[in-house]
Amino acid sequence: MKKFSMFILITSLVVFFGLSLYADNVQLPVYNGSPVTITFWSWAPGIDQWTINAFEKAYPNIKVKWTDVGSGEAEYSKLLTALSAGSGAPDVVQIEYQMLPTFISYGGLVDLSKYGANNYKSLFVPWTWKQVSQGNAVYAIPQDTGPYAFAYNKAIFDKYGLTVPKTWDEYAADAQKLYEASNGKVVLGNFDGVGVSQISWLLGLIWAAGGHWWVLNGNTWTQTINSTISQKVTNFWGNLVNKGYMSTITPWSADWFPAMSNGKVASMICPAWMPGYLQENLSKENAGQWRIVPLPQWPNMPFTSGNWGGSTDAVTVQSKNPEAAFIFALWINASEESCNHFIGYLFPASFVGLDSPRMHDTTTPVDQFFGGQDINQIFIDASKAVNTNFEWAPWLNYIYNEAAKDISDAISKKISWTQALDQLQNSSLNYAQNQGFNVK
Amino acid sequence: MKIKIRLRRSIPFVFLSPFLILLVLFYVLPLVYGFYISLFRQYGLRPPIFIGMGNYIKAFTDIGFLTSVLTMGKFFLIQGSIMIGLALLFALYIDNEKNHLRGLFRMVYYIPFAIPTVVSGILWGFMYSKSLSPFQSIFSLVGLLHPDFLSSGNLFWSIINIVTWEWTGYNMIILYSGLQTIPRELYEAAYIDGAGNFDIIKYIKLPLLIPSIILATIFTVIGSFQLFNEPFVLQSMTYVSPHLTPNLYIYITAFNYGNFNFAAAMAMILAIVTFAVSSIFIRYSALEEE
Repeated sequence: MKKFSMFILITSLVVFFGLSLYADNVQLPVYNGSPVTITFWSWAPGIDQWTINAFEKAYPNIKVKWTDVGSGEAEYSKLLTALSAGSGAPDVVQIEYQMLPTFISYGGLVDLSKYGANNYKSLFVPWTWKQVSQGNAVYAIPQDTGPYAFAYNKAIFDKYGLTVPKTWDEYAADAQKLYEASNGKVVLGNFDGVGVSQISWLLGLIWAAGGHWWVLNGNTWTQTINSTISQKVTNFWGNLVNKGYMSTITPWSADWFPAMSNGKVASMICPAWMPGYLQENLSKENAGQWRIVPLPQWPNMPFTSGNWGGSTDAVTVQSKNPEAAFIFALWINASEESCNHFIGYLFPASFVGLDSPRMHDTTTPVDQFFGGQDINQIFIDASKAVNTNFEWAPWLNYIYNEAAKDISDAISKKISWTQALDQLQNSSLNYAQNQGFNVK
Repeated sequence: MKIKIRLRRSIPFVFLSPFLILLVLFYVLPLVYGFYISLFRQYGLRPPIFIGMGNYIKAFTDIGFLTSVLTMGKFFLIQGSIMIGLALLFALYIDNEKNHLRGLFRMVYYIPFAIPTVVSGILWGFMYSKSLSPFQSIFSLVGLLHPDFLSSGNLFWSIINIVTWEWTGYNMIILYSGLQTIPRELYEAAYIDGAGNFDIIKYIKLPLLIPSIILATIFTVIGSFQLFNEPFVLQSMTYVSPHLTPNLYIYITAFNYGNFNFAAAMAMILAIVTFAVSSIFIRYSALEEE
């Protein structure tokens, strides 16, 4: 009798803990198929053979061939061509959030819900899941994100007696003060919305103000590029640019990092993947001088951030082993092993990655660059404050080019910033309708 | 007997076959395929729809495409005149036998052509950039602000400068070899008749150089309408309008927008326009010569 009750107790304990363990830790899928080799395109910094080997150890029947075919645009051109040609696309491919709808509408990505992708929804930050799915269909596994914070050069702020801005009004006041005190030699920030595809920087700030440009309802898109919120944010920056309080260097060009490094630009709107780039590209004299604080806020709304960049791993329709491809895409972004190693270089989209102790390791060169600050804590808070309600249009490549032209015209004062948005709204509507999209 | 004749007829083709096979594989077939896909409309991986000349009609009403062709027409007129003019000056300069440094100058003028256009695009991009430019110190020495060579208004002229730098030496060599074919006796005869250096240039060298100038101009027409590398490379430094050159627009339409069919149609039109402009030029100059 005693033995029996012990047995009951132990079984119930095992079952109880087992269940609770299962609820906390969703088990990654098991692969029962035949041995396969899958191909993988990715430019993610930090991905290496170690990650691939670890995966092959966990799934001995799946071999992975990884290639870096170029980042962003360079990869998308190749993917687009391979998809159109009918062969040459990889099984798993890294795609940024904003480009997913383009490839989905193109018919190039596999809906992963049939492999049970929805079971793993709870592993990822909610807004990222919204970005990779349309209704019940799931087209990619979130990888890394770029929620916004504010990075500033403390030495310059101290020298000119600037207060760290908590609101956009304070930001504008600082911009004016710094411009006047330095006779225009030092500006508070660079307007990073210059150049092809950089509109996503400005769009991230509109996102942070509660705005969005597109909503998909059934198969009808509603486009609101010149909405009130959009105009408010764009004119805020436009005003600062027109007065000369902001520089307008093309991001990633040869002048961009030097301007910050030489103390000509005192701060930047900083997505979570940027600190590493700052530490790497700014001169040694900058080390320890920069700080990160939450993004300045608009009045009368709860703390909100936006997102710039970050990427996902998707499975293409050319994959002959979509299930194995899905398992790899999931493992690389949600397994503890991968998150502690590979994702450590990026700002992860999965909770496993965000909870990893290395996120708060302040001895890294990057944290030291920011004076030993626990910078990731600020980005974790920012990630939680990103609106889930935000979508990208499938004709984004057109927007990228067209917006670059309109912004360039607004900077050279050929048109006003409001006109730039109006023009973009109209030309984009025209283009999308010509392409056969249902837009209004 | 019959077999022999047949063999004799086919022998030239056997010897030509390495060339012919490559020509068909890499020139004729892509052209035919390009024309074929230009007759369809397709979005993504959906089945293509036959639309006949639809893409061609669309191209002639597409403001982006028309702008790019007109911009390059303007580019040809301005850049072509500057470059051929300079090439002519340099060619006359190194053709002068009394010039002892001509060997050196021939090389110096020709060096830029030996640099790949992508590399010179990057090189000039760095020279135009505000923080890396060596002009920075030159301008500040005179007390002037460094102009923004890469701003949307100046970009056209900055690219003219790059292309001129790259191709003047090449055109100079064409003109120089033209000058070399002129019999020297003509100059001696002219000297004896009391002609000066400028008379010789005006009455002997220039008239006899016209075929070479025509050749250089045709190369320039083709080069202008096909401009791609320099603006493409400069995209990483500044905003370059996709409507700047037809090839840039075709590239973006195909590989960014994924509209390969429309891009093929525009490429066909571009080929025809380039061919037409070149042949009009040949016809017109042939009449002149007669």
